[in-house]
Amino acid sequence: MTTALKAPTPASFTSRLHSPAVAARVGVWLGVCFGVAFLTGLISHYAQNVSQPIPFPTSPSWGYRVTQGLHVITGTAAIPLLLVKLWTVYPKFFERPPRNVRRVVVEVLERVNTGLLVSAGIFLLVTGTLNVAQWYPWEFSYRRTHYAVAWVAIGALVVHIAVKLPIIRDALRGDVDDTTHDDPAATRDGGVSRRGLLTTTWVAGGLAVLTTAGSTVPALRDLSIFGVRSGDGPGGIPINKSAVAADVTATATSSSYSLSVVHGDNAVTLTREELSAMTQRTETLPIACVEGWSASGEWTGVRLRDLLDLVGAPRDRDVAIGSLQQEGAFRDSLLQGNFADDDRTLLALQLDGEPLSIDHGYPCRLIAPNRPGVLQTKWVSTIEVAT
Amino acid sequence: MTRVLLVVVGVLLGAYGAWLLLSRQDTDGNIATGTWLVAGVLLHDFLLVPVVLVVMGLGSRLLPGAWSAPVAVGVVVLGSLTLVAVPVLGRFGARSDNPTLLDRPYVAGWLVLAALVAVVVVAVSLLRSRRGAQSGAAPEGE
Repeated sequence: MTTALKAPTPASFTSRLHSPAVAARVGVWLGVCFGVAFLTGLISHYAQNVSQPIPFPTSPSWGYRVTQGLHVITGTAAIPLLLVKLWTVYPKFFERPPRNVRRVVVEVLERVNTGLLVSAGIFLLVTGTLNVAQWYPWEFSYRRTHYAVAWVAIGALVVHIAVKLPIIRDALRGDVDDTTHDDPAATRDGGVSRRGLLTTTWVAGGLAVLTTAGSTVPALRDLSIFGVRSGDGPGGIPINKSAVAADVTATATSSSYSLSVVHGDNAVTLTREELSAMTQRTETLPIACVEGWSASGEWTGVRLRDLLDLVGAPRDRDVAIGSLQQEGAFRDSLLQGNFADDDRTLLALQLDGEPLSIDHGYPCRLIAPNRPGVLQTKWVSTIEVAT
Repeated sequence: MTRVLLVVVGVLLGAYGAWLLLSRQDTDGNIATGTWLVAGVLLHDFLLVPVVLVVMGLGSRLLPGAWSAPVAVGVVVLGSLTLVAVPVLGRFGARSDNPTLLDRPYVAGWLVLAALVAVVVVAVSLLRSRRGAQSGAAPEGE
């Protein structure tokens, strides 16, 4: 034990749970989680891009709700899986380098790759979990950095899989209790069997999801004791940024509020009463936030296309939506032509049959199908058609 | 060969990420990112895992044989869930202007979860030690 404390070697770790047969099985599901999180992350990143060479689809209206919900769910499930996986392979960290020079080079490269994978993996899960809870104790741009590190992680993961492919294949073909690839020292039965450890891992991953996913899956709401949002809020929808935080309380409730719709030289100005006097439509659309929470609402207001017709805007034009909010990254958003023309895209005045609360964007807000919540601009004051 | 192709693809994906990381931010941002990247691994490898190993080692030494496995399972489940819940338990992102954010009794929730895990662990352990006594064999483990 004293020698083990001084300089551990793989032989210092004697539990038979430290086995590729376990690591490969946890690794498969960890890989699935990272893969799904990567793909859904790409979708979310693209949906927020101003420039979209291939238009982001407006249907199904709940598409982004599902993909971003999955992004956060798979990332959360990956936390227990990653912890168990890393514990299982921890002895490899203390392996002595081989004597052969050529093998040393390969070994060093492999170690660098593993280091990158672990570091990027932990980074993504930690920053993602903190972002979900709106806690930002860092000095980098979250979205850009999380996105870039995801590419590093997925690259290192692909290399890691390539390096380990023969042993993964072998381990998965054999029984979980097979000892072919084990370290000769890893024979101690510590009480928990390998199957027991795997079951424990699946249970921990499952519970991590059940206790958090209620923020986006209404059926799990009561179980999600660690959900960042209970789902309560004005009109049954939580709030991301309040009117106070956006500093719009005075301008949004001012009697001099008006909305301007501009297309080149054509411009109209409308008060909230004039907006209410136009044909009102009701659509059931979700607010789906990048932080993974979502909620469906019944929105009533003016179809955006009706407003664009007032200024003779042609179809398929990008539209800039501006807010009363003076500062902040999401004070305005660009609505791509296909979203602007979609019949379901509204300038909403009501939620759930009641006038919008000020925190939901009173006097009026944008609500479009299949669109990240941060781009559903609140407290709209200008609508400008690209010329 | 599949593996060589995978390595090439992986290196290209990773290189794109590294380029994105370094080209889209100023030096301060890059230093902050680097710090977090390194700190995560260091905290995991040199703090979390050693603590877990010591706790597990102590557990298997001090606990009766029938108890060590259920307790280990309980520690893994509750420990990993507690890590997942750190941001909400501390309510670090809470804002006084937004009552819809972090609006659950998280500590109470954690206590309920911990109690449930404890009940299951104790029940399973008791069942195991009774079964061990009935079959006449001493419970395995040191």
